[in-house]
Amino acid sequence: MVMAEQLISGQVIEACQQGDRAAFQLLFETYKDKVFSIAVYSSGGDRAVADDVTQQIFLKLFTAIRQFRGDSEFTTWLYRLVVNACLDERRRRRRLLPWGETVAMRNPSDKKPQEKQYARREVSEAVQAAIADLKPKFRLPILLKYIEGLSYEEIATVMGCSKGTVASRLNRGHSQLAKRLAHLNNPAVWGD
Amino acid sequence: MLSRHVTKDISAYCHGELSSDESKQFAEHIISCLKCRTKFEEIKLGIKLAEQLPLLTAPDHLWTELGPQITQINPVTNRGWSWQLKVAAAAVLLLVSSLGAWWFYSRGRKEVTGKSYWQVTRLDGTPMIGKEAISNNGQLAVGEWLETDGNSKAQIAVSSIGNVDIDENTRVRLVETQATEHRLELARGKMSARIWAPPRLFFVDTPSAVAADLGCAYTLEVDDQGASKLRVTSGWVALELKDRESIVPAEASCDTQPGVGPGTPYFDDSSSAFRESLKKVDFDPDAVARSAALTSMLADARTKDTLTLWHLLARVDGNDRVRVYEKMAALDPPPPGVTREGVLQLNQSMLDSWRDELKSTWMGVDKKVPKPIAEAYWRAKNGLSRRLKEMAPK
Repeated sequence: MVMAEQLISGQVIEACQQGDRAAFQLLFETYKDKVFSIAVYSSGGDRAVADDVTQQIFLKLFTAIRQFRGDSEFTTWLYRLVVNACLDERRRRRRLLPWGETVAMRNPSDKKPQEKQYARREVSEAVQAAIADLKPKFRLPILLKYIEGLSYEEIATVMGCSKGTVASRLNRGHSQLAKRLAHLNNPAVWGD
Repeated sequence: MLSRHVTKDISAYCHGELSSDESKQFAEHIISCLKCRTKFEEIKLGIKLAEQLPLLTAPDHLWTELGPQITQINPVTNRGWSWQLKVAAAAVLLLVSSLGAWWFYSRGRKEVTGKSYWQVTRLDGTPMIGKEAISNNGQLAVGEWLETDGNSKAQIAVSSIGNVDIDENTRVRLVETQATEHRLELARGKMSARIWAPPRLFFVDTPSAVAADLGCAYTLEVDDQGASKLRVTSGWVALELKDRESIVPAEASCDTQPGVGPGTPYFDDSSSAFRESLKKVDFDPDAVARSAALTSMLADARTKDTLTLWHLLARVDGNDRVRVYEKMAALDPPPPGVTREGVLQLNQSMLDSWRDELKSTWMGVDKKVPKPIAEAYWRAKNGLSRRLKEMAPK
């Protein structure tokens, strides 16, 4: 957890429970980028859908925060909302929209030297596209690990499964990413 | 291979989620199990790719649109905070605005365990980290140089996977330390590494090649011209530059030259005439001199020197390649399925099959002994021999 999240104290949550708008804004500012990132990656890169999902998550959070009793970590509670919202959205849409058509899957190592500075960005885009193609059960642990920086134990609590299941799903997720993007296993791509 | 496979634990190992005992068992198994090592390489790539996922910035309009809806949900607003809470809120908002960028840029360089530096212990004199002299212990952060003069020595703990002794007059920089890669740059001087981790986690950049650890102990020396010399005391090390690679086993060495890259590996007990000739074959700019040196080298080659000859197959051409093949075939014939034509055309799978067959010879183990047992025995023998040398009075 980054420092800002550690500063979200019981007082802030209590203020939110009492309906304090400034406290809501503070909570929103602290988590908006992470929640939005997960929503984008879970919606196949569709930012309009991610906007809606992020708003729904925060509305739900603000509506339900009075029920938060502090039995679990606040972040665990929040990310459970995020995971459920992303799964609900996927069920609703039934299919993933393809990632933005501008994402080219060509090998960045084919680029000329002067374009090398863009190679890493292309890797990142290729990864985003590959993540969007993963099944939710493999994608969500990866997002919780790499975007939220959660431990296996925390991911297990958020997803309601065992730590072993988290390890196994991350393993399979990593493996699928590597197979799908094997063409990027080239030092030239990484600027090495 | 001698214990259960560990493929299911690979991500947990890379993320530091295993206990120290489990990590040790994992590393010991993976060094000797090709199946798990292959999977390890795949998962490591997956982790490296996942680490490229950027944190996105939520659009500003989200709060503008949320605001009115929140008022409807919670009509009780602005109940008034304590001054402490207001100060905390201001601090959080300030932090949030700057931490996003910090997080994005630093995340990729930070080890999962949260450490982005290595511990350094002074062994002698006054080693320097940057411009600071270290008294007994120091921390080498990513990007920082550790330098020793003619009277100082230091030891670096390479995360939790090994250690590196830094000799006098040496300059090294910590390039990267992550779950999937630890990398040092040796600009000049001498270092000795002992690594107990799965292969290809620890790398050392030199001006003329990259040394990739394959589970081993070795010394690496770089002179003022950027040429280097690798000597392996246990396990295997790969020396690489672009598409040129030399695989160096224990009790063998390899020289590198700037502009050329890694030369051909040779056993330390090969004759000095053999080594002199090899030097010419590797680095002499005159083709006629190289071919003449090859003749003399082939005349001196022993069965064990197929290590050198196998690497030369891809580095010489025409009639020289035929001569190398014939000498190798006379010393240690190729296994079934590996043909003269295939080798001369550098068929990679045939070259790999022959190398795998030759490994027993290079390790000094009977070919009838199953490979995993041979490798385990050889590593144990190397390790014991190295430890005895370390314990011997100086």
